[in-house]
Amino acid sequence: MNTLCRAAKAPDTPQKWFRKIALRPQIRLADILFISAMVLASLPGQRTTAFEFRGYLMALLVLIELIHQLYRTLHKNPVKKRSAGDISAVLFLGIMAWELMTSHFDLLQHLLFPVPGKVVAVFIAELPVFAHCLVSSLGLLGAGYLLALVTAIPLALVIGWRKRLFAAVNPLTKVLGPIPPIVYIPYAIVILPTFKCASIFIIFIGAFWPIFIGTLNATFNVDQRLIDSARVLNVPERTMLFEIILPGIMPAIISGATLGLVFSFILLTAAEMIGASSGLGWYVKYFSDFADYPRVVAGILFIGCVVTAITGCFECIERRLLSWKS
Amino acid sequence: MEKIRLDNISFAYAQQKVMIPVIREVTLSVKAGEFVTIIGPSGCGKSTILSLLAGLNTPSDGSIRIDGEAIRGTGSERGVVFQHYSLFPWMSARKNIIFGLRQLKKRKSHKELAEITDHYLSLVGLHDVGDKYPNQLSGGMQQRVAIARAFAMDSEILLMDEPFSAVDAKNKMGLQELLLNLWNSGAQKKTVVFITHDVDEAILLSDRIVIMSACTKGIKEIIPVHFKRPRNRATLIKTPEYAAMRHMLINSLFDDLIEEVAV
Repeated sequence: MNTLCRAAKAPDTPQKWFRKIALRPQIRLADILFISAMVLASLPGQRTTAFEFRGYLMALLVLIELIHQLYRTLHKNPVKKRSAGDISAVLFLGIMAWELMTSHFDLLQHLLFPVPGKVVAVFIAELPVFAHCLVSSLGLLGAGYLLALVTAIPLALVIGWRKRLFAAVNPLTKVLGPIPPIVYIPYAIVILPTFKCASIFIIFIGAFWPIFIGTLNATFNVDQRLIDSARVLNVPERTMLFEIILPGIMPAIISGATLGLVFSFILLTAAEMIGASSGLGWYVKYFSDFADYPRVVAGILFIGCVVTAITGCFECIERRLLSWKS
Repeated sequence: MEKIRLDNISFAYAQQKVMIPVIREVTLSVKAGEFVTIIGPSGCGKSTILSLLAGLNTPSDGSIRIDGEAIRGTGSERGVVFQHYSLFPWMSARKNIIFGLRQLKKRKSHKELAEITDHYLSLVGLHDVGDKYPNQLSGGMQQRVAIARAFAMDSEILLMDEPFSAVDAKNKMGLQELLLNLWNSGAQKKTVVFITHDVDEAILLSDRIVIMSACTKGIKEIIPVHFKRPRNRATLIKTPEYAAMRHMLINSLFDDLIEEVAV
């Protein structure tokens, strides 16, 4: 013990410093890949037009590396630090592969496969348009999804709690639930007055069933001990449903709601591709019609960012709601 | 004065169209302020009696009367502590107690609720951990909170279904003493029906011990416990009377098992 302490306190000799720096370098795989990608981006390739976009590509690479380094300094957990490095490494590899296939060796069709730098440039230039599309899409998504939440959860709680109602409704959900909501799109567009209504309806249907079925089954199978504990406190039925069963089955509701969110996003973009005049799905479809593929790729990447942000928020809410579980 | 009366109650449940009897023709009377323990081998239906008393199930035959009136479902005059899961895991210890208090008929202000809750939490020695969730508390602490809630709700009758059997030996002793202190300290003693399979626990706590036979044969014996209260565990277990009573109880419990093996 004593010797260990002394060894730890002893000042570093020049030899030790040498060993630390030269023999066990602190440069990681991600950093090596970052440097390689930067070098690659700065070299002229086969596609001469690509060269003007190299600044954008380099900016993207620097951004990823900066986020990576920032994450490293802010987080203490070594496992998380390592996976942050690994994720950056995968990103750098992907970008390098893309750059090599397009700009450097020109293996892919020019029109269909834009160089990464160009996509970055378009992405930045189109941000105001994306913002506009995002507002329109989130309006539809929010309306449809929230409508599904506020109808599916109370309905499923009441039906799952009343055994007779459950027996009557459950077979119906087995038939209606699995119908892919996409098949409703043409019909919804015909029967509802505006495209907006139709989209909200489709998103609602897509989110409703996973939330409803998840909540229904969880209510029906709720732990009897929980019910007994509440019954001996003489809780009225309303309290039983909304203050005991609802929080008691919250994990199941959240997994249903997550599934519903994924469905509603798929349906949102699908609906927009069919009949909208704004929105994220519309953007991708519109520019594919003009064969403007840099915009298409940028749009797809933007949708990816939006979905990530939404699921991130959702996980935050989930952690808050289920903080009692840990 | 008679508080609880079980009159010839039977209970059976249906399994694939066959009625399986759990208890058959049990009659028992409990006086107000009395501490009665029901003890018996597993499967004798002792927990079923408690769930019938709590009003979670209705007897297939016979009647249960409290203060001379037949019970209908659960009631606020009866508080229950289970072995597990008495507390709601998404509420902190304090919120669990407040939730219980809010279900009572008497309307109370937020301030009053908080005062009662703090009082009972400190009575069970948990005022520091009131904001923790049940999962963050040990099993013994969870039962303390459940007991605090039951006493805070101030029901006349307390029904306890093996409340200490999932708690380690040391904590169990602490909980038994806590329970006796709370039971003794109130202005009006609560009537307690306590289920256990622990002979020592039964002797330490009870005024009377009801021994159940195995296999739905009902009550085998009712043994009064005359040791003076307040009882001190350390001195009590050294007395020959204690040893004799313990011996008698174990014999009575074991009889059945021997019979079962012989048959």
